[in-house]
Amino acid sequence: MVTKFEDVELGDDLPEESPDVSLVRVTKFAVAAHMLWGRFTDHEFARKEGFAGAIVPGIMSQGLLAAMIHRWAPGCRILKIDTVFRTPMLADSHPVCKGAVTDTDEANRTVEIDLTIVTDKGETSVVGTAVVQLA
Amino acid sequence: MNIAELRETWLGRQFDRAEFEVEAKEMLDWAEACGETDARFTDSTHPDFQAHPGFTAKYASRRTLPTDFPQLGDGRGVDGGKCVESLGPIRPGDVLGATSLIADIYEKTGRSGTMVFIVHRMRYENQRGEPVSVVDWRMIRNVG
Repeated sequence: MVTKFEDVELGDDLPEESPDVSLVRVTKFAVAAHMLWGRFTDHEFARKEGFAGAIVPGIMSQGLLAAMIHRWAPGCRILKIDTVFRTPMLADSHPVCKGAVTDTDEANRTVEIDLTIVTDKGETSVVGTAVVQLA
Repeated sequence: MNIAELRETWLGRQFDRAEFEVEAKEMLDWAEACGETDARFTDSTHPDFQAHPGFTAKYASRRTLPTDFPQLGDGRGVDGGKCVESLGPIRPGDVLGATSLIADIYEKTGRSGTMVFIVHRMRYENQRGEPVSVVDWRMIRNVG
């Protein structure tokens, strides 16, 4: 666990996480985000739209990564998080969130983190970066 | 289609303004659905209770693009991702004013042809006029 800037080394990996993207959890997110569309909440509906099943909203995947960062460095402040949605991530699947420190800025006590989410088929679904300020 | 002309005409032009009231329940549900465990985001009684970093990405302006923006490709778009910058905490009951503009237009050519990226930027400030968030949404149009 990271509590201050000095705890971090360039190249550090964040502990990998397997987030809960069950249909129940995704539906809860869709309600909070006002995105109550069948492609997020109903496997059958999503299949009719050409997906393999209900998908995780892109902005939820960003939230999963933010939560991982907060567990790695409790009390940190995420100044910026930028994610690219490459391939759909399915609800009820078992993705893995990963992160690695790629830059540090001692003057501002910030670190840059490369982020990915890999599906259980080994596909990279989300890539991104975050700038995080530490104590 | 001339990207330089599009940029010259459209970059920086504000085309929408909207207001959004922030509700504590939605802040909590958002954070919990994302698996957040930090009490700043999951406990409404925490002294620093605030919205999760990407929370403003849920708000949509009334228009995706200006009404007179030219149609590119078949007009349908793909979500190319979002960048959220957190400038200050967002609290329950805040009323956020958001302005929309086109921040960038550029093209890339890949295996699936030429794609135009349009960056829709929403800047949010709270009821005290303090900037709290900037969201860049990259929309992709396949133009062949």
